[in-house]
Amino acid sequence: MAATDLGRIRALIASHKRWDAAFAVLGFLALMVGVLTFVALFLDMTLKGLPRLSYEFFTNFPSRRAEHAGILSAWVGSTLVMVVTGLVAVPLGVATGVYLEEYAAKNWVTDVIEINITNLAGVPSIVYGLLALGLFVYQFGLGQSILSAGLTLALLILPVIIVATREAIRAIPQSIREAAYALGATKWQTVRDHILPYSSAGILTGMIIGLARAIGETAPIITIGALTFIAFLPPSPGSAEPPFLNFEWLTSPFTVMPIQMFNWTSRPEAAFQLNAAAAGFVLVFMTLAMNALAIWLRYRLRKNIKW
Amino acid sequence: MVHSEHLSKQFDADLEGLRSQVLQMGGLVESQILAAIEGFATGNRELIEQVINNEPRVNGYEVTIDGDCSHTIVKRQPAASDLRMIMAIGKTVTDLERIGDEAEKIARMSKQIHERDRLQVQRFGEIRHVGNIAVQMLRQALDAFARLDAVQAAQVVREDVTIDDEFRAIVRQLVTFMMEDPRTISSALEIVWIAKAIERIGDHAKNMAENVIYIVKGTDVRHTRFEDLEREAKS
Amino acid sequence: MSAIVEPARAEIATEGEKQPVLKAEVRGLSFHYGEVRALKDINMALHEKQVTALIGPSGCGKSTFLRCFNRMHDLYPGNRYEGDIIFHPDGLNLLGKEVDPIEVRMRISMVFQKPNPFPKSIFENVAYGLRVRGEGNRRRVEEKVEQALRGAALWDEVKDRLHQLAFNLSGGQQQRMCIARALATDPEILLFDEPTSALDPIATASIEELMNELKQKVTILIVTHNMQQAARVSDYTAYMYLGELIEFGVTDTLFIKPKMKQTEDYITGRFG
Repeated sequence: MAATDLGRIRALIASHKRWDAAFAVLGFLALMVGVLTFVALFLDMTLKGLPRLSYEFFTNFPSRRAEHAGILSAWVGSTLVMVVTGLVAVPLGVATGVYLEEYAAKNWVTDVIEINITNLAGVPSIVYGLLALGLFVYQFGLGQSILSAGLTLALLILPVIIVATREAIRAIPQSIREAAYALGATKWQTVRDHILPYSSAGILTGMIIGLARAIGETAPIITIGALTFIAFLPPSPGSAEPPFLNFEWLTSPFTVMPIQMFNWTSRPEAAFQLNAAAAGFVLVFMTLAMNALAIWLRYRLRKNIKW
Repeated sequence: MVHSEHLSKQFDADLEGLRSQVLQMGGLVESQILAAIEGFATGNRELIEQVINNEPRVNGYEVTIDGDCSHTIVKRQPAASDLRMIMAIGKTVTDLERIGDEAEKIARMSKQIHERDRLQVQRFGEIRHVGNIAVQMLRQALDAFARLDAVQAAQVVREDVTIDDEFRAIVRQLVTFMMEDPRTISSALEIVWIAKAIERIGDHAKNMAENVIYIVKGTDVRHTRFEDLEREAKS
Repeated sequence: MSAIVEPARAEIATEGEKQPVLKAEVRGLSFHYGEVRALKDINMALHEKQVTALIGPSGCGKSTFLRCFNRMHDLYPGNRYEGDIIFHPDGLNLLGKEVDPIEVRMRISMVFQKPNPFPKSIFENVAYGLRVRGEGNRRRVEEKVEQALRGAALWDEVKDRLHQLAFNLSGGQQQRMCIARALATDPEILLFDEPTSALDPIATASIEELMNELKQKVTILIVTHNMQQAARVSDYTAYMYLGELIEFGVTDTLFIKPKMKQTEDYITGRFG
């Protein structure tokens, strides 16, 4: 190359590098906006709420006196609702995902179904609440219970699980399926021995992400009538006499964490604000913990997978 | 056989190069035979020396062409007609080199005869005649190779019979000569060797023709009866 | 090279050896991908315990043809077979509508172009075919896995790490493991779809060597785009072009003295 060309090229490269640097800085700033906002909010809540945390806070029922109030009924309620949600949403979602990917013929009917499912994810959660009120609470007569709440939230997170299942299944290369079929496996054998095991990481991740979202959903729960001042726990699932398992807890009234927080925030006393902050901290912590679990599970289950 | 082009132009060029080298070698060998026989008939010292000096060139062709054949095999892994062509070229070049050797032998013996200067036995006419047949066979074989003409190659094979007959006739005559006058035995024998060399040239030309039939038809016609060979060539 | 006074080698029966036995006969096979006719009226014999190679330029239908043998096309919609593939010795028509593709795949195994081991251990990979067939006896499974790995010339290299992941093997080893996996179920025909095109020359050579031993026990049909490989490993070769079978014959004859000009042009590189 001639010397002048070299000079021109060097100037060009320098100018491009400046744009590079500028964009890197802009991107970083954009990232910082999100991160710093979250950190600021979280720190604020932590600083207010952390001192309030104690063993009593976790084991006390709500009370008119702020210093005696606790989140026992709230977090037990949340946990039980999550159990129902998970038990309903996961089998339904996984089965739907598997059917759509492996069994259904690829025609316009399945296309319509696909579109519907993706749209479900965008429906406002309060609409689910209304649906649940009419269908579960009144039509089926399930009442304002944990069962209704669980079913509602299951519907809410069903699209998340279906999509996660489908993505995980789609990631499996066609060559693996062909290898299985070529050995004489039936479709069910292939699904049971290969498709489900290899997509389990993605499915579990989807499930946890879905539950992490459901745990914080307030609108549908309010709509179906979770009570805000519950000073008792739902009946225990275990019992002393046979059959050692009862299901009364499903039909019991209940409350969940977000509702408890909302209730405290709307009280004028400053002490209750502290309670709300503490409860918020616990809620965020639970959500973060679930996400961390999802990441770790994904890492463990995907160790053998190389695609 | 139509020689359409390979996807690799280099391959075409390599094969063409091989074929033209074979024809060049053939041309050189042909002129060697003619010069050697002429040298025998006329005693022309220069011609005889020329044949003897040119012999290394013939050998050089053999080495070069064989080397190029190996190169082509390694590079192209030839199949079907290309494979047969390369195999046949290898054999043809051996035959040409042997013909060159025979021509040189004729030249050396002519040199000895004319040095002795005892021209008692004059068989120039017959030797020239049988020599021409041999040269004709060689020309036809080379031509058949150039045009990949199996029918012409079959004709060359047939001609070999003629040379064999002529050779036997010459030997009979010379034997009679030798029996009549034992003093002529030495030079008569030398003429027998020369005639034998020419007969061998004919055999080599016949081999070359058989190779051509192998290239064209894919059938190895060596050691078969002539009727079968001709049938195969014409099929 | 055969002399013309002896029978031409294409009629192999008279070589003084036993008559060649047919493992399968393809009769009038046509295949349609939706509207497209990918295979046109193919007739071919598959000789038992011999290696038959399918060669031809890209798009000639050789892989399509191969996949008809184990009904892989049934996995995808819009495919249609015409004609028969008669499987010997029981005379079953592999393409028959009443014949279950799963049953066909239990008797005919396939090895694919890119090695495709399952993300499981080597043992579980090779044993999968047996599990599919409901083989529960642990000792029998272990025996058959060892037998298959020996048959694929891989046993010595992996016998101490059978329960490690198959993914940790090298490319050539993975492909041999896939061969072992296909062998474990004692197939009657083994289909190879360009098995070495993703491998380096040494791995390729070891698999070609393996095929030579395998053919003593099982009939092999191999698709390859490498003509020299076809010349090295196969006893019979079929040349295909645009969905048709142009020429079929003993490998030596086809490569030295092909009958059809199209075949000659392809193998001498006079067209792609």
